[in-house]
Order: sequence, then structure tokens, then C-alpha cells
Amino acid sequence: MNAAAQWEDLVSTALVGTDRRPIAGQAASEVELLERAAVHTLRTRAGRRPVAGTEPPAPAAPEEQPVVPPAAADRFAGLLEGKRPKLLDEWLAAASGHGYRLSPHLLPQLLDHAARDRSIRPHVGVLAGNRGRWLAGLNPSWGFLLEEVTAAAVTGFGGDEVWELGTSGDRRAYLAARRATDPAGARELLAATWEKETPADRETFVKVLADGLSDDDEPFLEAALDDRRREVRNEAAYLLSRLPDSRLGQRMAERVARHLTVKGGRILGNGKILVTPPETCDAAMERDGIRAKAPRGTGEKSWWLQQLVARTPLAVWTRLFGGSPRDIVRMKVVDWRREVAAGWVRAAVVQGDPVWARELFLDDPLADLLAVLPPAERETMAVDFVRHHADRHGRLVDRLVGVPAPWGPDLTLAVLEKIIKLSSGTQSWYVGEVTRLAGERVDPGLHETVRRFSPEPPIQEVAALLRFRDDMLKELQQ
Amino acid sequence: MIERWNRDQVLALAPDAPSQKAAHGVSSPAKWSGTGVSADALWGECKGSGSKPYRACVDLSEPAYKCTCPSRKFPCKHALGLLLLWSADGVPAADEPADWVGEWLEGRRGRAAKAAEAGAARAARAADAGPADGRRAEQREQRVTAGLADLERWLADQIREGIAGSRRHDQWDALAKRLVDAQAPGVAGSLSRLGAALDGDDWPARLLGEYALLHLLCVAHRRLSASSVPSADGAGLQDGAEAGANAGGGVPAGLLQRVRERIGFSMAKEEVIARGTVRDRWDVLGRRDEEHDRLTARRVWLRGRETGRAALVLSFAPAGQALDASLVTGTVVDADLAFYPGSAPLRAVVAARHETTRPGADADPVGSDAVGSDAVRSGAAGRAAAGTVTAGQAPARREDVGAGPPRGTTVPQALDEIAEALAGDPWLDRWPVLLEGVVPAGSDLRVLTGPSGGLALHPSEGTPWRLAAVSGGHPVTVAAEWTPRGLRPLTTWDEEGRVIVL
Repeated sequence: MNAAAQWEDLVSTALVGTDRRPIAGQAASEVELLERAAVHTLRTRAGRRPVAGTEPPAPAAPEEQPVVPPAAADRFAGLLEGKRPKLLDEWLAAASGHGYRLSPHLLPQLLDHAARDRSIRPHVGVLAGNRGRWLAGLNPSWGFLLEEVTAAAVTGFGGDEVWELGTSGDRRAYLAARRATDPAGARELLAATWEKETPADRETFVKVLADGLSDDDEPFLEAALDDRRREVRNEAAYLLSRLPDSRLGQRMAERVARHLTVKGGRILGNGKILVTPPETCDAAMERDGIRAKAPRGTGEKSWWLQQLVARTPLAVWTRLFGGSPRDIVRMKVVDWRREVAAGWVRAAVVQGDPVWARELFLDDPLADLLAVLPPAERETMAVDFVRHHADRHGRLVDRLVGVPAPWGPDLTLAVLEKIIKLSSGTQSWYVGEVTRLAGERVDPGLHETVRRFSPEPPIQEVAALLRFRDDMLKELQQ
Repeated sequence: MIERWNRDQVLALAPDAPSQKAAHGVSSPAKWSGTGVSADALWGECKGSGSKPYRACVDLSEPAYKCTCPSRKFPCKHALGLLLLWSADGVPAADEPADWVGEWLEGRRGRAAKAAEAGAARAARAADAGPADGRRAEQREQRVTAGLADLERWLADQIREGIAGSRRHDQWDALAKRLVDAQAPGVAGSLSRLGAALDGDDWPARLLGEYALLHLLCVAHRRLSASSVPSADGAGLQDGAEAGANAGGGVPAGLLQRVRERIGFSMAKEEVIARGTVRDRWDVLGRRDEEHDRLTARRVWLRGRETGRAALVLSFAPAGQALDASLVTGTVVDADLAFYPGSAPLRAVVAARHETTRPGADADPVGSDAVGSDAVRSGAAGRAAAGTVTAGQAPARREDVGAGPPRGTTVPQALDEIAEALAGDPWLDRWPVLLEGVVPAGSDLRVLTGPSGGLALHPSEGTPWRLAAVSGGHPVTVAAEWTPRGLRPLTTWDEEGRVIVL
């Protein structure tokens, strides 16, 4: 009997007990068994041989990118543990923007994070480097990385074969770069492989056409309205609504003309818009992007009307009613004001129309509309809003989120004044939210100005956050 | 000037995970004023919720901490936050500590000196123990002997009746209590940890193994005590280095000491130190905290550069409270260690420290053609192996390039060393290994493989992703805790020679 078999025999004897299964020739079987077991246990522990035949995985490819500076890596590790997702996002965007790769020991945490949060994956694609891709090949839950954009594509080293051979992310980046310099060429490139692309890729790629959109893209997008994937159809319909002369634009114009008419002295004076909402949502409407099924709690007619307005090129209204956007926004809408206004807001945002956005913002200061305005004007309007109107329009933060970072000195000053006013008033309960947003959005270079503004704790909190971001961005520039 | 620790090393000092988080919250420069770092002290004032700032300082040579905040955590978040700030190069250098820091340092070092004197005095008193002590000791010997006889009978009963119905966690409670009453806390502890043997399908084999080793301990105590009864304080026994030699009645003295330590006869720290010390430059390989019965045990594993000796510095604290944080992973400590006597001496106390440095910190890295010390040699070798800096080439920026891993062993060498240690101490269940040139391998990367075979990880360890990420399929040096069931990785070193806590 070999050692292993002897041991098994000892264990099975111990299980049933030596009373029932004594060891032959031994007076005290139980003591003999314990002593043999001790010898065996020690022999196994002391005599262990190296494990043979385990193959290490093929080594990771050498890195081509510089590794993040150690201080930046440490800060990143701190951000991962912290509760400031916005700062983490900012770090990821800045670090990937510099083309860095992350220190290897932090990659598992980064990849776990990206497995939960899709939005950061394009940055992760760069930061992961070759080591990250090597890890993704070993761990299926990180497999998403293999389709993400690589640093080579971002920095433009890929060359034309990227479109043929690259990952989804690389191909998107390539297409976007091509679209920026040669819109028609990019569209033809996409059209050539369109039928063979996966639904997810078609969805990603059609969005690239938003940049440099022109009437030349119309036939391609009109055809995409019949795509098998709803997201592709939806995106194509929105893009076409930015082209008033498209066939979709004309169809929408005919539809709104049937449902919305002007009564009285046309625009000026006391003109009114009369609305007869759609009674049905037919197949043609659905093809143009209108969803038949209303969300719970919304009436069907109301839902169809709102979408009808939202998906109509804004230029249609001026042609139809014959006034400026300002005149139209100020007209009275009989009974259906809420739906029509919501539709216009959506249209102004989707079509990125600053003229309409400006007029609509004056009517109802929504964050989304601010985002459409050119940066300088956006800041001016936001300052004006914070100084003069914020009190009448509920929560300041809900509006200010529409002004992306970095906030300039004027808006910063206005918001700081507001914070001081709020913290001494009755609305102090939401000062924290405004403080946090300001800390995340204000240009971090202003941290010293903010610190000197006031010793009030919320202001100092903003200053501390700005200082943190300033340090963070500087250490990435080393 | 002490070389800055990296972030991982600082965070490893935190008593728990919430403390690590809280430390990040107070690690930004905006929170601090009046900061400074001198040759061996770090200090600053942190804005708290009150009107007065908290004053925190760290004696880097130990390290030891002091903060005026009321936190019971130790080190508190302010001390940790300050260390983080320092590790990110956010603290300006100063020649002299601030006044309040200097006072604290002096006071502390004064107290330490007094404590050492008092300890020496206690040791001296213990050496000439009075007759009352003798009676108490004799009483204990009798209780232990009776308790172990109980245990021996109980084990025999288990095997006679069969252990098939033994997969229950409560069956050792009463027995463990009896052994506490019998003043054999070591054995009681082993019994209360037996539950771990019940995990997995092979539990009958593992439980039998544990029973067999307990039986061996009872028998060893019975036979060894009969042939050589030691005096109460263990005086007159020989040092572990002479473990092979036989005392009086043919009993290896070191083995007897080891048996007594397993049973729970403790020895005062001063007494251990009085037995003599070993000076070396000790690499702090890593550490593990384990909680059991609301008590946290911290194991810090060391290895001597010159002597090659393995050492374990063990400390305990009630769960959630301060543990000894004076040994920082990845540093080299020039210290006198005193080993507890035994046949495979491992457990040690730090008797005196001379200076704490990171490997190679004392050597000038720029233009050091004459590679003088072991530290520099192994550092350069580590970098060369990782392919980042060729040997002899000076790193551009010292703080960016760690000094690299200490010299490790191959897998067969580690196994030989473990076998030798087991030969001296059959109850040994942990041993520090420092494996050089290993790669995480196998389908779930749970085998650390070198050119001549590998060692598997402990079954409770998952895929070591962080280690795998650092390795990238290339050989690395890994410090790990060996257990009979497999390795628990502690520390590795990345391509830039930075220490990475796993």
C-alpha cells in the first residue's frame, strides 16, 4: 500500500472509529492511529514537492505608453476609494487625454470599476495599456476592454487598416477622425461595410455622423430609418430632423401643419396657436421615430403631440407661422402649451439650435437649454440667471448642471455670492449641493481667488476641492 | 533623512478600512498648515470641526504617532492623512521640528528609556523568583498536566467512537474552556480554531491531522516534562540555536521550550531580550491581521539580510483597536531582534532599533559604480530583471524608482527551509517565504511557478489579480506566508522596484 492509500485507510478508520474497526495487532488502536496520522501529516507537510506542469500565461506585450507619474497613481487609488465619482471621471479623462497608462497594480480595480460603469470605458481603453488587455484576456468579466479604443487609435498611429482590423472603439475613433476632415469620405466608408456591421456597432457609428452633418447624408440616413435596430432608427430620425430639407423634415412639416394652426392676427399681436393632437400613431409616424406606446401616466395624444413637435426641424415653424423664434415662443398655445413647449425644448437640444434655446431659456430656464448655447453666452446667461432669477425658479443646482466645466470668473463669483446668501438664509439645506457642483465645475486655476473670497466654510470647501483638482491636473502634466 | 514611504505603505498602517477612507479625506494640502518634515519627524496642524486645529506628528524612526484629536483609532486619520500628504511630496523639509513636536519627541524617548530600565529591572526580579512564585508555578504545572491528560483521553475517545459525526462547530467549546481553566491557553486557542478544519470535502482528513498533532503535543509534554522539569521562568534552558543538543535526560531543550510555548507558557519580553539578541538589517516582508474571538493578531514577517533568518513579530489588540504599526512593509530595519526560545525559533521581539531605511536609501544612487552593499546589489538586480533599468545605470529620479525587492529563494529552496523548520517544530503552521522569479500560473493563476516548479495558494485565496497585473506573465519576487494548505501572498515589487502590498 502506498502512502496515499494508507492515509485514506487511516481516515476511513477514524471516521467509523477504532471500536468498530480496530487496527490489527495493536492493543490501543486509537493511540496507534493518532500516532500514524501525526507521522503522515508531518511527512506530507514537510515533504511537499514543487507543483509541476502549471504553465504561466504568455507574457504581456511590452508597453508603448508612458506610465502615469507615481503621485498621480496614488491620487487615483485614493479617488477609487472615495465618494467623488465626478473627480474620478475628471482624472480618467485627463490621464487618458495625456495618453498615459495606469500603473499595473491598480489595473484590477480600474477594470472592476469599468465593468460596472460603461461611461468611463473609452478612457479605460487608453489607460489599460497592453497590460490591461492581457488581464482582460484572462478574466472574462473584463472582456469589454478588448473592444475598447486603444491608445494607438487615439494618438493617430493606427493608419487606415484600423478601420479594417481595429477594435470597435478604434474603428469609431478612426471614423470620427475621418468625418472631421472628410465628411463624405467617412460616410462612404461606413456605407460600404454597413450591412456587415453588428447592431451595436451600427448604433455607435451612426452617431458619428452628427459631426459635419449635411444634406449629402440624407439618403443614407433615410435608408437607416428602416434599420433592424431601434436605436439606429431613432438616431437616424433625430439626425434627419436637423435637416429641414430632408424627406423626413418635409413629412414632419406636413404633419405639424395638420395639427397646429395659427388663429387671429398671425404672429404679432394676439395670435394663438390652435392644436388638434394626433388621434392615432400610424406606421409612417413610427418610421419617422415617433413611439406609439406612451410611458405610464402620460396620455397617448399628449405623448404623440410632444414627439411630433420634438422631431420636427425647428426651421419648419418659422416657415409655417411666418415669425421669428422669439415671436413663436411667446405665442399663446390653446390647451396644449405644456406638450408643445416640451417638444420645442427637446428639438432645440437635439438640433443644437442656440437661437431657439435662448428664447426658450428665457421662458423656462432649463439646464439642457443652457448646454446648447455657445460657451461665452451660456456663461453670461447663467450669471444673469443666478443673480436675478434663481430665487423664483426652485433649485439652482438643477439649472447650473447645464453649464459644463470649466466655469469662468464671472459665473464663479455669482455662484459664490449665492452660496453665502443661501447659507445664511432658510434654504441652507441645499447649500451642500451647490457647493459640490461649484467645486467640480469652477476652473481649478481659480482656487486661490476662491480661497480669498470668504472664510465661510462652504466657500473654503469649494476652494479645497478646486485646489485638489488643480494639483491633480498638474501632476498629470509632469 | 528617511526616504518617503509610498501610499500603500502608509495605508497599511491604518487600523481598518474606514480609517483608510477617512485618511484620504484629510490628506489634501488645503486641510493642513504648519507642516514640516525633519530627519526623523513629520508634523502639521489639521483643520478639524472645532476652532483649534488638531496637531499631529509622527516619529518616523519608529514610527510612533501623536495627535491632539479625541479619536481612539490609532494611528488616527490625521496622522495617516499627514503621512499620505508626505508620501505625495506635499510636506516641506525642515531642519528642526516645531517646538511642540520637539517636546513630544523628547518626552516620548525619555519614557521609552524609562520603560526599558523598568523592563530590565523586572527581568532581574524574575531571575531570582521568590518561594511564592515557585509554589504558583508548581501549581500551574500540575493543572496543565491534568488538563492535557484530559485532552489526550478525549482525543482517544473521539478516535475510538469515530469522527463521522464531528462536523459541528460547537463540540470543542467545553473542552477549550477546561483547558483555559487548566492554564493552557495555547492549546485552548488551537481547539477553538479547529472549526477551520471543517471546511471543504476533505474535512475528515484535515480534522484527523489536527487531532493527531494535538495528540502529539500532549504526548510530547507528558514525556518531556517527566524527563526534565524546568523551573517556572524557563531559566536554565538552552537557546534554540542549540536545539539539537540534548539537555540532561536526553531531551532536546529547544523542543521542550517549543512544546511549552504551544501549550501557552509565555515568557516576558524582557526575559526574551535578556537571553540575547541578533542584529541584522531586517526586510519587513509583509503582514497579516487575523481576528479571532474579538482579538486581532498581527503577524509581521521579517527576514534578515545577513543572517537569512526568518522572524515573526506578533502583536495583539482588541478588535478595532490600535495594533503595533511600527514595522512598515517594504522597509529595512536595522535592529536587534530577540528570539523566543524553541527548536525552530521564529517568533521574535524588537529589542532595539538603530535606524529605519528603505533598501538602498543609505547609498548614493547617482554614480555609485562601487556597488557596496547587498541592498544596492539586489536592488539593481531587481530592476535589471524587470528590464527597466540596466544594472549600474543610475535611476533618473530616486523617489520614482524604488530600491527593488530583497533577494529571495527558489521554490525548492523555500520548501527545503520549511521542511527543516518543521523538523524542529512539527506544529509549525506558518512560515515566511520570499520567492524570486515566480509567475502566477495555472488556469486561475493560483500557482506561483518558477523554473523548478511552483507553490499553490491557500484555497481561500482567489485569483491574485493584483499580483498577476504586476507580473504581466513575467517573473517577479513575491513575499508570502506559507501554511500547510498553501500560500497567502503578502507583498510584491513592481517593474519600478516599488513595493506593492497585496
